[in-house]
Amino acid sequence: MLGSSLGLIVLADAFVGVVLATSGGGDGLTIYTARSHYGDERPFDTFAADTGDDLTLFGGSAPELFERLSSEGDQTEADLLVTVDAANLWRAEQAGLLMPLRSAAVERNVPADLRDPDGEWFGITTRARTIMRSTERVEEGEASTYADLGDPRWRDRLCLRSGTSEYNVSFVADRIAKDGEAETREMLERWMANDPEILGSDVDVLNAIADGDCDVGFTNSYYLGRELEEDPDFPVAPVWADQDGRGTHVNLSGIGVVAATDDREGARELVEYLTSPEQQRTFAANNHEFPVGDPADTTEEITQFGEFKRDPIDVAGAGAQLETAVQMMSEVGWD
Amino acid sequence: MGLTAVARGHKPRRHRLASLYDRWTFLTIALALLVAGPLVALPASFVTAPGALADFSALLPGAAQATVVLLLGVGAGTLVLGTGLAALIAFCEFPGRRWLEWGLVLPLAMPGYVFTLFALGLSDRLGWSWLDVRSTAGATAVFTLVLYPYVYLLARSAFLAQGGDLLEAARGLGLSRGRAIVKVAIPLARPAIVGGVALALMESLADFGTVNLLGLQTFTNAIYKVWYGAFDRDAALQLGTLLVSVTLTLLLLERLMRGRARYAGGGSPARAPEPVRLRGVAAVAAVAGPLALIGLVVLAPLAQLSVWSAQAIGNGTLAPEFATAARNSLLLAGMSIALVLGAAVLLAYGRRSGRPSRVSREAVGLATIGYGLPGSVVAVAVIVPLGWIDHRLDDVAGVGLLLTGTVIALFAAYVVRFLALAFQSVDSGLARVPRSLDEAARGLGSDRIDVLARVHVPLISTALLTGALLVFTEVMKELPATLLLRPLGGDTLAIAVWRATSESLYETAAMPALLIVLVGLLPVALLIRLSRRVPQR
Repeated sequence: MLGSSLGLIVLADAFVGVVLATSGGGDGLTIYTARSHYGDERPFDTFAADTGDDLTLFGGSAPELFERLSSEGDQTEADLLVTVDAANLWRAEQAGLLMPLRSAAVERNVPADLRDPDGEWFGITTRARTIMRSTERVEEGEASTYADLGDPRWRDRLCLRSGTSEYNVSFVADRIAKDGEAETREMLERWMANDPEILGSDVDVLNAIADGDCDVGFTNSYYLGRELEEDPDFPVAPVWADQDGRGTHVNLSGIGVVAATDDREGARELVEYLTSPEQQRTFAANNHEFPVGDPADTTEEITQFGEFKRDPIDVAGAGAQLETAVQMMSEVGWD
Repeated sequence: MGLTAVARGHKPRRHRLASLYDRWTFLTIALALLVAGPLVALPASFVTAPGALADFSALLPGAAQATVVLLLGVGAGTLVLGTGLAALIAFCEFPGRRWLEWGLVLPLAMPGYVFTLFALGLSDRLGWSWLDVRSTAGATAVFTLVLYPYVYLLARSAFLAQGGDLLEAARGLGLSRGRAIVKVAIPLARPAIVGGVALALMESLADFGTVNLLGLQTFTNAIYKVWYGAFDRDAALQLGTLLVSVTLTLLLLERLMRGRARYAGGGSPARAPEPVRLRGVAAVAAVAGPLALIGLVVLAPLAQLSVWSAQAIGNGTLAPEFATAARNSLLLAGMSIALVLGAAVLLAYGRRSGRPSRVSREAVGLATIGYGLPGSVVAVAVIVPLGWIDHRLDDVAGVGLLLTGTVIALFAAYVVRFLALAFQSVDSGLARVPRSLDEAARGLGSDRIDVLARVHVPLISTALLTGALLVFTEVMKELPATLLLRPLGGDTLAIAVWRATSESLYETAAMPALLIVLVGLLPVALLIRLSRRVPQR
């Protein structure tokens, strides 16, 4: 009896395996994407419709997609990898999971500082991580640099997202690469001396400012774009930080061709398509980000705050400082 | 027939040589090692990258402190709440008891991260400054409220299996009914209660969703920082090893607290104790307390989710993939029951039936530690060896990725992660079947597999159902391992929730979350139906 029921179990499991394994895949391109949580992104749909190719989007967060890609190796179904930050593209490149792509069109579409010099990945959009202020309680100009958030006037008025967030780690690693450890640590210690309230997400930080729990915060720009789309009177505005210095911290969301792809031609076509100025604009507009080709061209919710200078992205420099950043954030008490 | 306390089980038989070839002992150890095997990757990281963790030494003191404080709080909370409610339901009679008996299981279907989101929204809206959910006390409360059913379920079935004779005897010795429960019934149910608390603690050790939302710096949170933030998988695995040592300490404590005694209930259904009839204020409190609990943990969040779902439908942000996701979740959870429960029955029965040996006992203990580890760590531990086998198979036969490209790797991860749940249920069920029954059945010429199928399985059907329920609801809620190991096109409801909540799109997340809870309620309903057919009191 037990034997036969075990047999049944094995049979039934094999069945589910077949059902689940065959409901995706297919002949077309497979994209491992960390953008899946931004909702339906039209460029993928329109590419599929235009070319008749079958696109399979497999969502996950970048570190998980990385583990999967490394384990699958040359047998992977994936043809392309999309991430929402530069560090994860850099990491995939370091691990040899991506391959160089040479395409005049892509090189025209993506400025040299927003793509890998070896052509292993390309930016599609950029996003700014900057200071947010209450339009009701904070005057324009009261805080204009990241270091200003350490001013004692913000004591008990500052909200930050948790130090677990990769966006914060990337920011700190970038500061360490450019300003050195000592200066970055001093800045973070002064932030922490203001006893910031630590919240779980960028959206929580924006809502806390809107609700009056804090007066300034530090988030990605597109989250504010979403809030303003829902409610044009949302009482929060960005401060484009460090305009008299290096510029506002910017990160990118980008794409790379998986080294083990069996469809280089198809992958190249998709990268060319997604980085084309028109599709960049669609990506950016859907999520209030900035196209890499024309950094000023995004939705009215964000452009109303004017243009700003960007701190040049140094992916390799920041990548090398990620461990120091995590350790430092923990030492200064950014939980 | 009443209850027999048998000190130290049965005496080891003296056939030393024969025992070396005992098939059941061998099978048990082999299966246990197979399940625990992938976790070797954790300590192995100390060999392959000895210094990795040193780069993150600043994380350790905080992580250790937060973890210990959380464990103490959740341990005390679930112990008191779970045991108290189980005693109330098992020994008292009041209007509505039969409904509450099962209503109190419902929080099992509520994913911790969903309840946390609800609690955060509630505290923000109420604006009570004393109600700070983003604190250690808040996290302790959240975990206690969602995890007490483990203790409740196991304690309740232990109380019911004890029967009334012993309580009557205690009363005959002059104890009041209340004191008899505290002095006799609860100590007798200790293995089940401690087992339930151990499960609740392991679950809170492994959790990331809730601690991340509430900003608690536990070991699991540290694992995500070094792995996802600093890309240091070796350091993450080393932190995972520390987490395992916490789990092992818990299991050791559990064993110490169980003591050496074993308790066996009657082979025939136990005669129910004469219930304490509650009247007046006591009856009202007995109804209102549990009802408030269910209202807070299940009904209010469900109402909130329904409102959000309705808004999402109104805005047209309802994704059509939810139907596929629901089917996938249901299939995965259903199949996992068969696999995880099957493995648990083989392990528990094998250990009981084979020659009692230290090796098999320790091996089985090792096989259950996966429940104290975050799903993503288990997933990586599983994908590495399976991926290696996959590539060798492909080199030889050119079959592609048979294991890691399909649900097989995912099921392997579920077995490693959730075996403890099924094992605790099955083992505490088996512990109440007297060994004399095994001997008698075998004396009549049945082989062991026959004894298992025809004697034990029917006798422990409630324990099996409990195990099935626990595994089903956990797989429905499971996120990190599913995210990493699912086949292409295998998105589940939990993944749909993750996708929306990672961008704080709560309205979009509401519908799949609602479906997780509602589908999770199905096995609870089934359990109610089936167990009512078996007269219990």
